[in-house]
Amino acid sequence: MPETTTQFTSLLPNDVLARVERMRLNPLKRKTNHSRGEHLSGKGGASTEFADYRDYSPGDDVRYVDWNIFARINHPYLKLYKHEEEMHVVLLVDASRSMQFEGKFDLARQLAAAFGVMGLFNVEKVSAYSCTERAVDPVVLPHCTGRSSMRRLLAFLEELPGGGEFPIEAAIEEVLKRHRGKGVAVVLSDFLTLGDMTRSFNLLHSANLEIFALQILGPTELDPELTGDLRFVDSETNQTLDVSSVGELLGLYHEHREALSNHLAALCRKRQGRFVTMSSEEDIKSVLFDRLLRRGWVR
Amino acid sequence: MSWLPGITTPLAAWFFALLIPLVVFYFLKLRRSRMEIPSLALWRSVIQDQRVNSPFQKFKRNLLLLFQVACLCLLVLAAMQPFVRGDAEQATYLPILIDTSASMAATDAAGQSRLDAAKDEVRDIITNLLSDQRVTLITVSDTAQRMTEFTDNKRVLLDALDSIEVDDVPSRPEEGLQLAQALTRTFQINTVRFYSDGNLPTRPDGAGEPMAVVDFDLPFDLQFHKLDDPAANIGITAFNARKSGEDRWDVFVRVEGSEAAQTAATITLSANGEPVGSPESVVLEAGQSQRLVFRYDSVDAASLQIELTPDGTDSLAADNIAFLELPVSRPLSVFCPTELVAYRHSLEVLDDIELLPQGDEDPNRATYDLVISDSRDDRDREASTYLLTGVVPADLEGVLSVSDGLTSVIDWQRDSSLLQHVQFADLDITDVPSYAAGAEAAEIEQLGYEILAHGDTGPLILQRREGPELSFHLLFHTDRSTLPYRVGFPVLVSNLVGIAKEQANLSDVRGAPTGVLPTLSLDADQEYWIVGPTEKVVSQSSGPDGTLKGISARDVGTYQIQNSGDVVTRVGASLLNPTETSLHGVDRIHFRELTVDASIETASMDRPLWHWLAYAAFAVLLGEWWLFLRRPGGVPV
Repeated sequence: MPETTTQFTSLLPNDVLARVERMRLNPLKRKTNHSRGEHLSGKGGASTEFADYRDYSPGDDVRYVDWNIFARINHPYLKLYKHEEEMHVVLLVDASRSMQFEGKFDLARQLAAAFGVMGLFNVEKVSAYSCTERAVDPVVLPHCTGRSSMRRLLAFLEELPGGGEFPIEAAIEEVLKRHRGKGVAVVLSDFLTLGDMTRSFNLLHSANLEIFALQILGPTELDPELTGDLRFVDSETNQTLDVSSVGELLGLYHEHREALSNHLAALCRKRQGRFVTMSSEEDIKSVLFDRLLRRGWVR
Repeated sequence: MSWLPGITTPLAAWFFALLIPLVVFYFLKLRRSRMEIPSLALWRSVIQDQRVNSPFQKFKRNLLLLFQVACLCLLVLAAMQPFVRGDAEQATYLPILIDTSASMAATDAAGQSRLDAAKDEVRDIITNLLSDQRVTLITVSDTAQRMTEFTDNKRVLLDALDSIEVDDVPSRPEEGLQLAQALTRTFQINTVRFYSDGNLPTRPDGAGEPMAVVDFDLPFDLQFHKLDDPAANIGITAFNARKSGEDRWDVFVRVEGSEAAQTAATITLSANGEPVGSPESVVLEAGQSQRLVFRYDSVDAASLQIELTPDGTDSLAADNIAFLELPVSRPLSVFCPTELVAYRHSLEVLDDIELLPQGDEDPNRATYDLVISDSRDDRDREASTYLLTGVVPADLEGVLSVSDGLTSVIDWQRDSSLLQHVQFADLDITDVPSYAAGAEAAEIEQLGYEILAHGDTGPLILQRREGPELSFHLLFHTDRSTLPYRVGFPVLVSNLVGIAKEQANLSDVRGAPTGVLPTLSLDADQEYWIVGPTEKVVSQSSGPDGTLKGISARDVGTYQIQNSGDVVTRVGASLLNPTETSLHGVDRIHFRELTVDASIETASMDRPLWHWLAYAAFAVLLGEWWLFLRRPGGVPV
C-alpha cells in the first residue's frame, strides 16, 4: 500500500518545503540591519570569524582586546570579527482581483511561502503584506524570525484573502508606510496597472530594500487567442473597453506586453533589483529550483 | 458602344436608401461579447497605439458593418439589373431566325452540325436574356415556322430550341423574313437575327460568281450571322431516267463535290432492292461534278435507288441517297379527232403513239395522255396535256374575241418547249384574236395564262398549267392558217408529243425532291396514311378526282402510302439540290435596296450582370455569417 504522507502546508509539497528550508536568498547587495543575524556585515562583529585589528579606543569593550599582543608589545589592539547582521525579507503579495485569474494568486502565495521559509530558516526577519481594497488596510504579518515562525507564516499565506482593486504601485507605498528595515522586498504581482511603477520602485530602493519583482501572468495574458468584436471588462474597476477585430490586434498586444515586461525589468535593474516574468501555469519546482536558482536569486 | 454597363431598372436605385437604416440599426443593435479580463491596462495601451487608430484599422473595426453594406449594395445593384453592352443593339423584341435547311445538318471536323453550332449561340442569347427582352424563335427552310411566341420564359425558349431539327429541303429565307415582317405589325421590331450557313439560292453575278439575292424589302435591321464552313462533302444532285428504247431506260446520276477538298465515293444503283450493274467509283476535285449513266432494262414499273458511299470525309448524309420511280412502259395515248387531218398525219409518223380514235367511234377512254382538239367539249376528257386549236378558253371570253381577218405572228417565245425550232415568220392566219375593249395582256396573265406567241391585235398561243395538267391554246384554228403547210408544223407536233410524254412520265422521269411529294392518282375520297422515313405518320384524304397532293416530305427517304393497313404505293423523296450539296455559303445577301454582310464573329448580346452581383452578395453574406459566428475565445476566471 502506498504510504500516505501528511502535507505540512497546502502551499508547498513537503519535498519542496524540505528543499526550500535548505536554501537562502541571495541579494545582490548587503542590506542588513544592525541586529545580529546570519548575514556578514562589512563592519566588525562578534562572530568567530576573525576580520582585522584596530587600535583600542576608550570605551571599547575590553573583552575584544587581544591580550597576547598587548603582552608582547604593551599596546592594546582590539580584535575585530566579522559581524553577521540580520536581513529583513518583505513579502508583498498582490491580492487584487486581477490576480484571481488563472491561478496567478496561488503561485504568488506559493512563491511567497518559499521566500518566507528561506528567510525564517536563515534567521531573517520576515514580514508579509497583502493589499486588496484601497479603503482597507493591508493584511499584515508582523515581522517574525526563526523556524518556529514558519507555521505562522504559512497559515497567514494560506488564509490570505483575495479580491479588490488596490493597484500594486499604491500597495507598495502603503506597505512602506508600515515597514522599517533594510533587506529584500519580494513583490509578487502581475503588474497590470494603469499607474507608473517608477515611483514605487524608487521608494523601495530608497528604503534600502532590494527589489525582487516577480511578474506572474496567466496563459491567456501571455498568449491570448481572441477574435471578433469584444467588450473587455476590467475585473477590478468594471470599466469596459470595446475592441473590434481583436484577432487583428494580437500582434500589437504581444508587443505591448513585452514592452511592459522590459520596462519593469529596466526599472528594477537600474535600482539594483531583479525582475522576472513567469506564467501562472509554471510548476513551483521549476520556478524555484531551476529559473530562480540559475538566475542567482536564491542559493 | 459604351463601355459603361447599362441599367435596366434604374428606379431600383432608391433601395440604396436602405443603407441609412442599416447603419443606424447596426450601431443601435451592435452587441459585443462581454469578456472579463484581469486588467484593461495592456489592451488600453494597445488601443491607444497610433497604428490601431490608423484609417485602415478603423476600417477594419467595423468589418461586420462593411460586409452588410457591401451585401446591400450588391443586392441593390442586382435589382437595378445592370448589363454589359454587347455588339448588338439592345432589342426589346428580337426575332431569331434559324436556318434549318438541309445544309445545316453538315458537320465539321469535330462532328458538330452547323445547326448545333447555331443552337449553341442562340442558347447563349436565351441564357443571358434581359428582363425586358422578348425573343421568338423562327425556323427557316423552304418554309418558316414560328416555334414560340415572344417570350422571356427561358424554359419555353430552350425547349423550343432543343426541338428544332433539320429539314432535308432547300433554303428559302424569304419565308422567314416575311414572317418576321408580319410580326413588325404587332411588335416594335428593330432588329432580326438570322443564323445560317449562307447556303442560300444563288444566281451568278456579273463576274459569274454566285450571288444570293432575296426579293424582299427589309423593314428592319437584319443581323446575318454566318456559321463556320464545314468539312468536305460529296452528294447526289440529280437523278433521272430517259427512255432510250421500248424496254430500256438510261439512268443519269450527277454527283457533285463541295469546294472544300477533293472527294471520292462509290455509287451503287439498285432497282426494287436488287443491285443494277456494278458500283461506280467517283473521284472529284474540289467543286467539280460528274455525270454517271446506268442502263436499266425493264418494261415494268420499278423503284430505283442510287446510293453514294463516301470514301473519306462527308459532311452531309442527306444527299447520299436518291430515289426514282420508273413507270410502266407504254405508248402515248393521243386523242385527236379525225377532222384534224394535219395533226393526225404528223402524229402517225411518230413512234410509241397510240392515236385515237382509230375509226369513227369515240374510244371513251377514261384517261389520255394528250388531247388535241378543236372542240371545247374535248377539254373535259381527262388528260395530262391538252392542245386546243381555234377555241378561246371560257374564262377568257370576256377578255378576248376572235374575228375574221388576216393576221400574222409578231413575236413568239423561241425557247418555249412547244415552239422550239418552229418558225412563225410569214405565217398567215385568217382568225384574228383581239383584246376586248380595255383589256390587256396582264389580265390574261393574272388568270394563269402565259402568252407564247403574239399577233397584231392580241395573243395567238397561250399556255396554262393547272396542277398536273398542262394545256396549250391556239386561239386560231390551224386549218385557217398556213401553219399546216409549213415545215415547222410537224416540229410543233413533235414538241407537243415530247411534252406530253414528259407529262405522262413516259420519256423522262426525275427523282422527286423533298418538300412536297408529287401528286398521286389514287382512289377518290379515301383516307390514306402516309408513313415517312422517320416513322412519322400523317393522314390525308384524296380528292374527288382521286388525287392525293400536298403531302409534306421534310426528310429524305421512302414514304409509304397506306390504306386500311395495306401499302398502296411508295414514293421516294430525295434532296437533289446542287446548292445544298455544295455547302457553299455566301458572305453577303443582296436584298432589293441594300446588302447585308455576314458576320463570322459571334456578335455578343447584352449580358446581364444581376446574377453575378447576386452571387457576390451571397458570398459576402456567407463571409459576414462566418465572421459573425467566429466565437471569441473567453478567458476562464
